[in-house]
Amino acid sequence: MLDKKITFTLNGKKVEFIGDPLRRLIDTLREDFGLTGVKEGCGEGECGACSVIKDGKLVTSCIIPMGAVYGADIWTIEGIRDTELGSTIVEAFADGGAVQCGFCIPGMVLASYVLLKEKSDPSEEEIRQAISGNICRCTGYDLIVKSIRLADERRRGV
Amino acid sequence: MAATRIDDKIRRSDALSKARGEAKYVSDLFFDGMLYAMMLRSTEARADIISITPPTLPDGYYFITADDIPPEGKNGLHMIAEDWRCFAKGDVRFVGETIGLFVGPSRAVLKSLVDNTKVEYSVKEGAYSIDDAIAIKGGPIVEGKEDDVMCQLYCEKGRDMESVFKEADEILTETFETGFQEHVHLETNGAVVMEEGENYVFYISCQCPFYVRKSVAGLLGIPVERVIVRQTTTGGAFGGKEHFPDVLAGPLLVAEHKIHKPIKLIFDREEDMEFSVKRHPSKIIYKSAIKDGKLIGTKGDIYYNCGAYLSASFVVLQRGVFHANGVYDIPNTYLTGYGMATNTFPSDAFRGFGAPQTLFAIEMHMSHIARRLGIDPADFKKSMFLKKGGETVTNGHVVEEVMLNEMFDNIAKESDYYRKSREYGYGSGRGIGVSFYNHGGAFTGNGEQAIIKAHARLRKEGERVIIEVGSTEMGQGFQTILRKIAAAVLEIPIENVDYPNPDTSCVPDSGPTAASRSTMIVGRLIERCAQEMKERWGEGDFTVEKEYEHPDGFPWDQSTFRGDAYLGYGWGAAIVELEIDRRTNEVVVKGIWSSHEIGKAIDELIVHGQINGGVIQSLGYASMEKMENRNGHFKQTSMSDYVIPTSMDFPEQYYHIQENPYEFGPFGAKGMGELVFNGADAAYVDALERAIGKEVYKIPLPPEDIEEALRNA
Amino acid sequence: MNTCYIPENLTEALEIRRKTHALPLAGGTDLMVQAKQGIGINPVFKSPIMIITGLDELKGIRVEDDGTLVIGALTTSAEIAADERVFYHIRTAASQMGAISLRNTATIGGNIANASPKGDLPQPLILLDATLTLASLDGEREMKVDDFITGAKKTALNDDEIIKEIRVKPVEANYLFYHKIGTRKANAISKLSLSAMANVKDGLILDFRASSGAAGDKVKRKREVEEMLIGKAVSDIPSLKDGFLTAWNGILSPHAMPTYRRESTKRMLSYFLDKISEGAELGIIS
Repeated sequence: MLDKKITFTLNGKKVEFIGDPLRRLIDTLREDFGLTGVKEGCGEGECGACSVIKDGKLVTSCIIPMGAVYGADIWTIEGIRDTELGSTIVEAFADGGAVQCGFCIPGMVLASYVLLKEKSDPSEEEIRQAISGNICRCTGYDLIVKSIRLADERRRGV
Repeated sequence: MAATRIDDKIRRSDALSKARGEAKYVSDLFFDGMLYAMMLRSTEARADIISITPPTLPDGYYFITADDIPPEGKNGLHMIAEDWRCFAKGDVRFVGETIGLFVGPSRAVLKSLVDNTKVEYSVKEGAYSIDDAIAIKGGPIVEGKEDDVMCQLYCEKGRDMESVFKEADEILTETFETGFQEHVHLETNGAVVMEEGENYVFYISCQCPFYVRKSVAGLLGIPVERVIVRQTTTGGAFGGKEHFPDVLAGPLLVAEHKIHKPIKLIFDREEDMEFSVKRHPSKIIYKSAIKDGKLIGTKGDIYYNCGAYLSASFVVLQRGVFHANGVYDIPNTYLTGYGMATNTFPSDAFRGFGAPQTLFAIEMHMSHIARRLGIDPADFKKSMFLKKGGETVTNGHVVEEVMLNEMFDNIAKESDYYRKSREYGYGSGRGIGVSFYNHGGAFTGNGEQAIIKAHARLRKEGERVIIEVGSTEMGQGFQTILRKIAAAVLEIPIENVDYPNPDTSCVPDSGPTAASRSTMIVGRLIERCAQEMKERWGEGDFTVEKEYEHPDGFPWDQSTFRGDAYLGYGWGAAIVELEIDRRTNEVVVKGIWSSHEIGKAIDELIVHGQINGGVIQSLGYASMEKMENRNGHFKQTSMSDYVIPTSMDFPEQYYHIQENPYEFGPFGAKGMGELVFNGADAAYVDALERAIGKEVYKIPLPPEDIEEALRNA
Repeated sequence: MNTCYIPENLTEALEIRRKTHALPLAGGTDLMVQAKQGIGINPVFKSPIMIITGLDELKGIRVEDDGTLVIGALTTSAEIAADERVFYHIRTAASQMGAISLRNTATIGGNIANASPKGDLPQPLILLDATLTLASLDGEREMKVDDFITGAKKTALNDDEIIKEIRVKPVEANYLFYHKIGTRKANAISKLSLSAMANVKDGLILDFRASSGAAGDKVKRKREVEEMLIGKAVSDIPSLKDGFLTAWNGILSPHAMPTYRRESTKRMLSYFLDKISEGAELGIIS
């Protein structure tokens, strides 16, 4: 096997990975960089618990090989949570009752972040669509949807 | 900071750390020198093991089997019985039964060791379904038995059924079936074991730390105190982490005894789906006598598929039987429950714990009777509601005022039920359906007193108060609920109350976090602790510990199943409206309305979240969550095969909470975690029947099964 | 152990492909799942792999002078779904494929090469007679998607070739239908999908096409059956319908849920034909 050196940006910092380019991004994030806010729920890109933002887009890190991360700009919950929009979402989730067991929530926060970055005052349908790849078994989603709306209202100051 | 009052809107104590990704689940824990473990499991459902041949182990790798259990230990996990073996030896009884545990530093190496181990079997005929078990296919599974009935009970109310059927105008016999359901807690099962001095310590995702301790200590023949269980932040459970964590902890303990290094075992999703407990599939036969437009008697034969080991099945079956009359005062009932042994993965606890199966069946049965009588199902059901003091199927009585009429009025008005029920024709493609349900709070009968004897403790340290209980937070909000109860009684800010995840070496045993008992029982204990602490507040630092006290006047005989099975019920009513695409049988749910009577909501936002989640889980159970078992193998093994609802599958819910303060609960609260699962399925299927104009008798009902129902009808 | 290459441009990729026959990994949404080993274990591939995710030459959508739509093989489903120039059936199928994160990663080339009977994009592409440009060091060749996919998980891709782009010539149609029955309302795998289109002018059916996904080992479409309607008058639909539906049913070969798949296909096609027959407003029939 040929180890490869792969440089990319992680939560705003240039980092380097040396290893099997087929290693899953999630394992690199969790075990090499200690970013355990990235959760593994299904290992096949179905549940969204391992969501990260890659080049501005929401992706599931459990099915992305390191070789596809060359030069990419990756953000995890650890890099998002203290940004202005990120913390607004996190606080709204806490106030709005969006969090139960919490395992899906970091991924849910990232999905919300991408949505609210792109869109102001999204409709209920748009919010539900935006989180439809993030499976939650606890909440039935209503309070997550409301919390995303709350975050949007707060950042728009309404 | 202001003192917290019970009705204050507060923020959940665990929300921020979870949303920020800081909360540590068991898979997030890494220890120096930590090894990993991977299970070798049976690939046959019923077979004798001829030989087990692992590959040559590289240095630093171990293969642990039943032979590693020391002479003073016993190869059994002590759940309720001790029948579930820690390691299969000699034979296997279901696909996925643990045969051995590989331990070592590299997971890739462990995987190849598992994949390259040769297990030679002599395969025998197995029984997989309830019908197979009734036919004793392959011979009795449980040693010493003549059939595959693993557990059995009956209860009788009113007159002899023969005479009841004789006087009936009409008799309706129907058979209902429900399928497996997988918990799909987003966090899979996992545990880490290590040594601390002479003790063994587990970090584990679980509902019941004291269950784990009790279950595994016998493997090494050591006192339970030498096993310390520390619950880690638990990413959902729903019953799937009530007894099942023992199945991970047992082999890990045996391995630790030999290896003496931290060992971590985390299931990936495929393992967690294929090789974990499920909700019991059921087959329920009701034979009912109808006279003068009334249901006068019902005989019920209730079969649950328990799988190969008992685990909690007998208790699950009991609850199924005790809920088999639904919320109705059927004057004469004779209900028999049969727990059937099969060669499938053992079935176990799942939110509702046996009640959802019979409640679904009785609701459909009642709707079908109403249709025959030409009465709106809601009106027929209302005419038969149990009332306070009314006799239950176990000859006990209903403790509280039953408020189902008020609750139904609320959601009937909100949903415009009667207009829609009249206007949407049978078979019109549109339907509105209704269901009523309840859930008995806490352990059956005198179990809280006779078996559990729960303890809870409050410790005062300066201005801070620490809650010491064995109950766990698994997402349901209990850490917040308990803190709120303590703070409200003590009239201090909730921020001054701590409730760390339990460690069995530091907290008293408060009983399992199950059976919707935590708020009602442990919450009440903490309320009592806090009341005493408040009186003695000036005494400095001290602790108050309380033990459960059973109220007088609720007799129960566990040998005959007669008396007050529960000290109180939660009650529910649900309405679902839907449309069906007649070309594709795809169903679009247009509205969901529910009302729940839970005594009192300690925290409305948490209760709201529980209702939403329980209702959606129930709608998933009825509609899309299909788990099939073929010859002992689960067919759906991933989250793409076994689908659970997304944010797009169901619309926003209307919910109503009916206050009805409960005498024996903290601030009047009763249990609610399971209740909210117990009824939306039947409302959905009632609506679906009306939309397609055909009666259906089984769930789940994905579009292809609706096609079948339409053709077979 | 895996052998893995990460070429920096198409020429290098073709050289690697010629020399090693390494399997191209585009988005990885299928291959990474097929090769997964569990938590913390690197996926294991049976053959050498070439990660081509970064090859910009294979990305993007353009329209040529004659109206031919050209979609680079590494264009993601999300990009296809967002591009108004893409034909209705393809765009809709792309928009309903898996979840958002999957659509951000999965590529059209990968979806075709994976050749899953349940794949979302081959079905509308075959409806529209789309072709592929296959590149190798020897040059390029073009092939219909329908010919390229030879069966479940089987394609005509040579071991020194890479799918470069997908080409769709303009097709005239004024009645359009697409429906995917998923395992649930979003983030779903296809249980069955159907595309249909008709070009109706002055009461005559000038063109009619339909294609069924997840109804057999590969996408089902048959020109002979479509021709039962082509050139016929709209007013003849009622008398032709049953024969057409029976013939269409004859080309389906679903393994699982056969009754449901056959009957719902029949009902959807019947509905589409009824709408045309009724003279429904031109456009998308939903």
